Amino acid sequence: MNPLGRILLVEDDPRDVELTLTALAEYNLANEVTVARDGQQALDYLHCREEFSTRPNENPAVLLLDLKLPKIDGLEVLQQVKSDNRLKTIPVVVLTSSHEEVDMMRSYELGVNAYVVKPVDFHEFVNAVKELGVFWAVINEPPPGSVKKLP
Amino acid sequence: MDVRRSLARWNIGSQRVHSPIRRYGFSVLSVAIALGLALLSQAYDFRDGEAPLFNLAVALTSWYAGVGASILAVLISTACFSYFFTAPLYSLEISNQDLPYFFLLTAWAVVIAWFVSARRRIEDDLRRTGDDLRVEVEQRKHREGEIRKLNQELAKRAAELQASNKDLESFAYSVSHDLRAPLRHVAGYSELLQKQASSLLDEKSQRYIRTIVASAKRMGNLIDDLLAFSRIGRAETKMRPVKLEQLVKEVVAEIRQDTKGRDIVWKINALPVCYGDGAMLKLALLNLVSNAVKFTRMRSRAEVEIGCIENENDLEAFVKDNGAGFDMRYENKLFGVFQRLHPSEEFEGTGIGLATVQRIIHRHGGTVRAVGAVDQGATFYFSLPKARAAERTAKVHEPAGTHITR
Repeated sequence: MNPLGRILLVEDDPRDVELTLTALAEYNLANEVTVARDGQQALDYLHCREEFSTRPNENPAVLLLDLKLPKIDGLEVLQQVKSDNRLKTIPVVVLTSSHEEVDMMRSYELGVNAYVVKPVDFHEFVNAVKELGVFWAVINEPPPGSVKKLP
Repeated sequence: MDVRRSLARWNIGSQRVHSPIRRYGFSVLSVAIALGLALLSQAYDFRDGEAPLFNLAVALTSWYAGVGASILAVLISTACFSYFFTAPLYSLEISNQDLPYFFLLTAWAVVIAWFVSARRRIEDDLRRTGDDLRVEVEQRKHREGEIRKLNQELAKRAAELQASNKDLESFAYSVSHDLRAPLRHVAGYSELLQKQASSLLDEKSQRYIRTIVASAKRMGNLIDDLLAFSRIGRAETKMRPVKLEQLVKEVVAEIRQDTKGRDIVWKINALPVCYGDGAMLKLALLNLVSNAVKFTRMRSRAEVEIGCIENENDLEAFVKDNGAGFDMRYENKLFGVFQRLHPSEEFEGTGIGLATVQRIIHRHGGTVRAVGAVDQGATFYFSLPKARAAERTAKVHEPAGTHITR
């Protein structure tokens, strides 16, 4: 049985994955996360193919996307998601180290729903991730066709 | 000079003989040859060839050896003619019936000599003008070549600059992406360790961890500031008239939110409209004003004054405070990157604020300076082009400018 997450975290660095999951764990959201380690895996998950071919055909409530990824980078994942009729309603949050204006501009041009720069300070980082998780996976009503909130 | 010499070499056919010995020698020689030919033609019964031959000799002498030599040629020709070709032969005596003939011959020779020398003068003038023109053309070609070379050099330099700018950009980009990540991990895992093991760790170990966390955070700030600083260098300036007073009021309003509870006397003088990039100037002012607020922290009543001195072509704005001040010996260090004059325990900060201010003002074609004394406050001045003067020049340059940006 493949994991069914309401949050798809696309992040190549295992340390960042651990820190992000730790932050989400504070709100018991860690179990609702699926991790993709590169852009290719993220797209496979979203399209239910390869290793994810058996997962229920529902979109995650939010996609937390790093920009610098192996194989297919974050901006390209974003572009593919936003130009795919079935996927374009998924809220995408870019969660990156990059403060660079070009990345921000490009992301917004491609239709990103939020852009968050990972703070160096751990408390700030935990707060940012927690708030993101709570807002997008709990407070926000995801578009129809997304994974339903667990009772 | 080289060109002139090489041109002279092409004109050997029309070259004048210069030394007097050669000139008069040429005269004698040409008449002698004419005489020889005349005698030869007479020996072969070819009649009446002598006068044209002597005239030819006179003409050649006049052409190549100048007026003096041609007069000599006329005289010798006449003498030879009289001696060899008129009765009585072999005597210089001239019979009465030959007198008009001689007169005509001499007159003819003089006319030829005059005509030839006049022609020669014109020819010389023409050649000189032609030479000058050719020299001019050569020089112009040379200059054009130099200009082309310089242009190529310039284009090369521009390309190099663009490449190094691009390098810098990708450098900043990778710093932004890759350097912050491990730092975040250091900070994050230290925090997790502290949380996980706080019951096991003694106070000393806990302090170590706190220091690791604080240092990581500080380095994060340094990187962020450095990136922001490099962004200013790379960003395009969008120059337009800027209301300085409004900008200052916005900045002060922003800073006031963080200084609640402090007694700060703000004095904002009337400020003119200047010419510059509004966002960048705001950043510069934000740095200067927040510095003034920071370094007056120990005053029970802080005073911050913002004003402007208008000169003929530019204006000099200043931010003055009654804070910690500085030693004028270190004025040149104030604006350096990561230069600090105060220990960070006393006044926090990365030491990049004034470097940022300087970079912004330099990009506006202005200058920065500071005046102060230890514990007696500091005044930071920056100059900017005046709106009207700048607009006037902008208008003049506008067509070219818009053309380039398109």
